[in-house]
Amino acid sequence: MTDSATPSAAGDRPVPLVEFHDVTVAYGRRPVLWNVDLVIDAPCLFGIIGPNGAGKSTLLKAALGLVPLVGGTVRFAGEPLARARHTIGYVPQRESVDWDFPVSAFDVVLMGTYGRLGWFRRPGPAERASARDCLARVGLADVADRQIGRLSGGQQQRVFLARALAQEAAIYLLDEPMAGVDARSQEQIFDVLASLRAAGRLVVVVHHDLRTAAEWFDRVALIDMRLVAAGPTATVLTPDNLRRTYSGQVELLREVGLAVAERGRTS
Amino acid sequence: MADTAGGMHLWAIATASVVAAACALVGTLLVVRRQSLLGDAIGHAVLPGIALAVLAGARPGGVAVFGAAVACALVTVGLVQALRAAAGLAEDAGAGVVFTSLFAAGVVIVTLGASRIDLDASCVLYGILEMVPFDTVPVGGVEVPRGFVSSAAVLATLVAVAVPTWKLQVFSAFDPDGARAAGVPVAAVTTGLLAATAVATVAGFEVVGAVLVVALLVVPAAAAELLVHRLHRVALLAVAFAVGGAIVGYLLAYRWNTSAGGVIAVVLVAEYVVAALLAPEDGCVAQVAGRIRFAWRVAREDRLAAVWRAMEQRGTPASPRSALEHLAGWWLRVRGRIVGAASLSAAGRREAEMVVRSHRLWEAWLGRHADLPLDHLHPPAEWVEHHLGEAARRRIEAELEHGRGDPHGREIPPEA
Repeated sequence: MTDSATPSAAGDRPVPLVEFHDVTVAYGRRPVLWNVDLVIDAPCLFGIIGPNGAGKSTLLKAALGLVPLVGGTVRFAGEPLARARHTIGYVPQRESVDWDFPVSAFDVVLMGTYGRLGWFRRPGPAERASARDCLARVGLADVADRQIGRLSGGQQQRVFLARALAQEAAIYLLDEPMAGVDARSQEQIFDVLASLRAAGRLVVVVHHDLRTAAEWFDRVALIDMRLVAAGPTATVLTPDNLRRTYSGQVELLREVGLAVAERGRTS
Repeated sequence: MADTAGGMHLWAIATASVVAAACALVGTLLVVRRQSLLGDAIGHAVLPGIALAVLAGARPGGVAVFGAAVACALVTVGLVQALRAAAGLAEDAGAGVVFTSLFAAGVVIVTLGASRIDLDASCVLYGILEMVPFDTVPVGGVEVPRGFVSSAAVLATLVAVAVPTWKLQVFSAFDPDGARAAGVPVAAVTTGLLAATAVATVAGFEVVGAVLVVALLVVPAAAAELLVHRLHRVALLAVAFAVGGAIVGYLLAYRWNTSAGGVIAVVLVAEYVVAALLAPEDGCVAQVAGRIRFAWRVAREDRLAAVWRAMEQRGTPASPRSALEHLAGWWLRVRGRIVGAASLSAAGRREAEMVVRSHRLWEAWLGRHADLPLDHLHPPAEWVEHHLGEAARRRIEAELEHGRGDPHGREIPPEA
């Protein structure tokens, strides 16, 4: 199932911004995401929606090469990841970060500039100015020197958003940026995401809250271990599609996954 | 210089300082990665490599020995990961299995080859700092201890590598997924840190031996982390602690005529204890002081509020509920806040009114928004009253559309 590209006037398809082709992902030997085909061809706010354990985060990690693909390919504007890395900004899940680590909010945002600095160049005045600027854009200029663990959950997510901004990317991939965040911070984060869309960037957000999904995203993909549906939000978030995503129909996929992992057969 | 007694001590102190700085620098990265004991594991696991290199004719403290140690460190980590993949052994248990077996192999090799190699098991275990100045090589016409030359080379190399790659270390340690997504070679960065740990550890053998080298790696960084909250500052402070510990430890050991390595480790631990006690925010003293300050404020505010309520109802103040509140009452009289039997100075009244105001606002808010019966309102208000600031009080007031007065019909004092 693809969120198909609109053919241009000339009749040839534009190169999609992100293209998952038959992507299957496994943790160890256990497949957790099966045969995903997904095409996102224009800048927009794109939501990846599904229940817990559906493989939403895994899809992002697979796109970024953080978990290996068992099968399939991911291309960014027609390029493989290795060539496209510098065009992608990533905000990882809260749990993957050690919040007691001795870095300030400013230090974290500065990390966003490391990709373009290469391996050995040290960040200079230009990078510092950019980091300060990005912190200001998420409204956190006044806590720049605070240790990251001493900020509220919403502030921490905004710091990570600022880091992604500092990457000056064309494509932003955000893993649950609204998790553990108060309503006010959610609005602020959404405003920044909307401004990125207005600036012609693609913003892909893993999200779990159906109520806000309908109002925030232009397009969504419903995922539960496989792609259920993808396309404009209004046409995808139908009762029928939601039932197919949230009713646990994929028990068979889980069982087969476990059987693969254990080199056994399903009972 | 090495031929005078004072010169010898200076060389020993210089060597210890250089080694301590190198270990603290590497140790900072291990500590903030929550992998402190990796230093211990590597410190033990490198022994067979060193022993085999020396047996094969390498000079202790030479490049070949460091190379063999790095190889051992990488083998250790590789084996731990292999055990986890193949046998499902948890990482800590795997490290326990691997580094002890490698260390045991090292002990066997050293004792078997004792007659042929210039490597004494007890030197490796406890360090030979006192002996360092006796083994010298000429450097530019000056006789310099071999141990100093090799550790200075280690420190110079580590600093030369750490400065340009610091940002990669910070990013990989803090957020490995984010770093990999941004194209940071996280695996190479981690391998580099392992190699650096092995090199620093071998240098540490000279000073404090294999057992106590983990103190040089971990303790200064752990102490520094209590005091500063940015990684480069943690590293610099850790190096300062380590060098200070090395100098003071050596001098104390000389005075007490005991093992320099042991005393250096003791001094490092003493530094840690002082840091843990005195850290401005999270230190034990600060925490206890904070609790005492708060209890004292609560006692004062309770006393003032009791007198204020007595004035309001033209009765006598409720008697103090604790010894601390008694003390607070006495103190408030001394300071002139409480006057006579049941009267307040202007300042005392203002303070009391803000406590009563907080109390009654909270009761009113709970009564309105939580639908609690009247008898449920007083206890929560009794502790919340000490925690509401002016902004919170004004917000609560704005949410109580109805007129003044708490649920018991008493007036809520206005904001001062």
